[in-house]
Amino acid sequence: MKLTRREWLRTASYVCASLSGWTPARALEAEPLFTEVPASASGINWVHENAMSPSRYLPEALGPGCAFLDFDNDGWMDIFLVNSGPSDFWRPPKPVRNALYKNNRDGTFTDVTEKAGVSGGYFGMGVAAGDYDNDGWPDLFITAYGKCILYKNNHDGTFRDVTDKAGVATPGWTTSAVWFDYDNDGKLDLFVCSFVDYSGVKKLECGNNKIGRNYYCVPRVFKPTASFLYHNNGDGTFTEVSKGTAIAQALGKGLGVVATDINNDGRTDLFVANDTVQNFLFVNRGRGPGGRWNWDEIALQAGVGFSESGRPRSGMGVDAADLDGDGWQDLFVANVDHEMYSIYQNNKDETFRDVAQRNGVARATQLLSGWGMKYFDYDNDGAIDLFLANGHPDDMIDNYSMNVKYREPLLLFHQDDDGKLHDVSNIAGPVFQKYFAARGLAVGDFDNDGALDVLVGVNGGAPLLLQNKAAKGNNWLGLTLEGKTCNRDAIGAKITWTAGGHKRSRLKSNGGSYLSSHDRREVLGIGHATKIEELEIHWPAPSEQVDKFTNLPLNRYLRVQEKGDIV
Amino acid sequence: MWKPVCFFVFNLSLLSGAATSAVAQAPEEFSLSPQELAQDAIQKQRSGDLQGAVPEYQQFLKIHPEATAIHSNLGAALAGLGRFEEAVSEYKVALRQSPALPGARLNLGLAYYKMGHIADAATQLERVHAEDPRNHQAVLLLGDCYLRMGRNKDVIRVLAPDEKKDPGDLAVAYMLGTAYIRDKQVEPGQVLVDRILRNGDSAEAHLMLGTAKMNIQDFAGARDEFAKAVALNPNLPDVHVLYAQALHLTGDSDQSEEEFKAELGKDPYNFEANLQLGASAREEQNLDGAERYFARALATRPGDPGVRYQLALIAIDRQKLDQARQMLETLVRESPQFTEAHVSLSLVYYRLKRPADGKRERDIVQKLTAEAQARQPGVKTQ
Repeated sequence: MKLTRREWLRTASYVCASLSGWTPARALEAEPLFTEVPASASGINWVHENAMSPSRYLPEALGPGCAFLDFDNDGWMDIFLVNSGPSDFWRPPKPVRNALYKNNRDGTFTDVTEKAGVSGGYFGMGVAAGDYDNDGWPDLFITAYGKCILYKNNHDGTFRDVTDKAGVATPGWTTSAVWFDYDNDGKLDLFVCSFVDYSGVKKLECGNNKIGRNYYCVPRVFKPTASFLYHNNGDGTFTEVSKGTAIAQALGKGLGVVATDINNDGRTDLFVANDTVQNFLFVNRGRGPGGRWNWDEIALQAGVGFSESGRPRSGMGVDAADLDGDGWQDLFVANVDHEMYSIYQNNKDETFRDVAQRNGVARATQLLSGWGMKYFDYDNDGAIDLFLANGHPDDMIDNYSMNVKYREPLLLFHQDDDGKLHDVSNIAGPVFQKYFAARGLAVGDFDNDGALDVLVGVNGGAPLLLQNKAAKGNNWLGLTLEGKTCNRDAIGAKITWTAGGHKRSRLKSNGGSYLSSHDRREVLGIGHATKIEELEIHWPAPSEQVDKFTNLPLNRYLRVQEKGDIV
Repeated sequence: MWKPVCFFVFNLSLLSGAATSAVAQAPEEFSLSPQELAQDAIQKQRSGDLQGAVPEYQQFLKIHPEATAIHSNLGAALAGLGRFEEAVSEYKVALRQSPALPGARLNLGLAYYKMGHIADAATQLERVHAEDPRNHQAVLLLGDCYLRMGRNKDVIRVLAPDEKKDPGDLAVAYMLGTAYIRDKQVEPGQVLVDRILRNGDSAEAHLMLGTAKMNIQDFAGARDEFAKAVALNPNLPDVHVLYAQALHLTGDSDQSEEEFKAELGKDPYNFEANLQLGASAREEQNLDGAERYFARALATRPGDPGVRYQLALIAIDRQKLDQARQMLETLVRESPQFTEAHVSLSLVYYRLKRPADGKRERDIVQKLTAEAQARQPGVKTQ
């Protein structure tokens, strides 16, 4: 029997544990699956300021988001980190700013925030990177408590604030946002999650907790709000178009959003995780009779709005991927402790079934609260795995709970040949034995080795950069898709590839996780296969282009343009 | 823990005349006269030979079905053999013939209790208690039934007078204390906990302390108390269930499941264990297994809305949408504030292509959710 490296590690660690009484993690002497890159090595010295006050204003507890993006188009992933800032409940005693770190291509980064002009100015929450103007350069949308900011990329290492001109200021309290092309006109539109009504005199304190101090209110006490959908007018401006649609009618407390196609109709849908009220699944039905876009909110009947026992939960992080390889997008939502996280398997009829229990994910997450997360193939064996960043929102929870902690461990699940996700955190490396107040999580290959690395935003702390060591020995192909008639980021493209007798496909969804934005490139893992027999790209509408490739090189990134040009 | 009470009060001489004529009709394997048959059966029952006693009682009753006490004795013998369904039939006959027959109603209640038909047991025991408030065994058994049914105030009602009369009765103190604590009446509960603690390190004391800690959401503390209780007396009613619940809340789901199963090992009709294991089986999509657990839970608490809701969810899982609809419609009619049932009913309506009904239920869900969130405590406007 031939064991994979991961299987060998797991077996070896169990044997060591049983022989010596060591824990598997301590017994493991082999290289970790992910290693922490310390600030001293990366040069990332920025620290999140959560503005924690004696009053415990809730926005303090929810940030920060983070992003991998290649802002200077040099082929290397840079890093953006969102910070808090001035608000109606906090005046920073010293300047607080976001951070943009340029990748020096040697494992180190340089802070270029001031030069780039992306410092912020409001109480920042999340970030969504996307090329909304199809100029080939990623732009940045920053959500906040207060006002959002749209930074347009100037192609010279700088950005300019075009928020007001673009019409996307979006007052209130916004959290996750996602770029996607809902009307398939080739231009990226923008969905922005709105959290709760926290404006003006409506702030609330929830009284004293068991140790006599104010605590962060559970969001049940705040009124829900409607999220925002901005249509890209193609001239640098946007129009808010949710009025009269299900999006405006659905009052929620949105924290996470992923844009995907749950029914394979070629139109991108939205799955929104809400805190303490039901989640939303906005299915894109296309243009309605009066010209207004038709959104159908079907979360309840689809089985993804509530828990399996009919209860609303505290949804935070979300994602979508074809977990079981059946060609249909499955969903994920992370909740607060004792609610357990859900893996929603697509029944192919606009309904879903929660299979988290069957996968062992429900039990593993029973005492955790999940925020940033991502379905991705961390070891390039071809199957989708799962990475979770956790942390309890109440910083004083340790004082009155023996089992739920403020700082929580990261979790890594590997999809084995049985099609199930297995918790491999114990063998994934020392960083998985540590505890964090994790929030945002972005995935990206900062060292261009084809193994997707992880960036975690930590509330009130330094970000966590994790280098992936788990994919060694497996082959891969990285793709940067460039749309021409479709949106430039090719969000909505479907990639199908055959390698080693396995045919796999991937929909280029966007968003997901929590407050964060991933590397836009797609890495196709093929395990020990030595070539990709065929690669097919179905470009999203309005393109009808299908490009096919054979004899592609491996273990490198390729830029593929719509209509088959490889750069 | 509980055993049927046998009353050998049958006056054989009353039947001697009738028995003589009936002997000729007896099958060959019973060459004894009816009087001898009854005497022999009673002797066998007294000596513990229940297998031998039962056919002789049955043969006798073919000849003398009016022999009320023999029906009762047969019931006791059958119950001793674990043949509770048959025992119940015999007790019922006896009570029909003689409603005041000593011991028969208590034994009927006990048989129901053993079968896990706790509500039926409570009904019978309430009558025993009403007719004879001094019957200590009936009071204890009734208190235990109420405790299992979650009727904590009724436990307090029936046991508090007994506790006053005999403060040294630790069984009463334990059940009453548990009811107080579950009813969030901490002070009187604490008094009883202290009394039990004074009697040394006991499983009962740890169980009650654990329950108190559960109530204040100190789940780890509760778990440790329950672990001690299990170690000291694994046969204490509900001890495994409570330990299982604490284990679940502290994240050890695997061990929790084992403890629920341990409870069922000694009490197959334990409501909580069946409910939790059923829910767990359903989540793992073991629907047949879940149904078996829920059936037993329903036997203990007939009509329990939580169990019926779980069964409705199974009907949805099995795509029996119309059946689920009927179950859920009944539930929300009976319990209009049952938000989860409204959620599931809405889902069923949508899947049955009845969007107007689905929307109506969904609106109810939103209204109930908003009302619940508006009732959140401890909120003040700045």
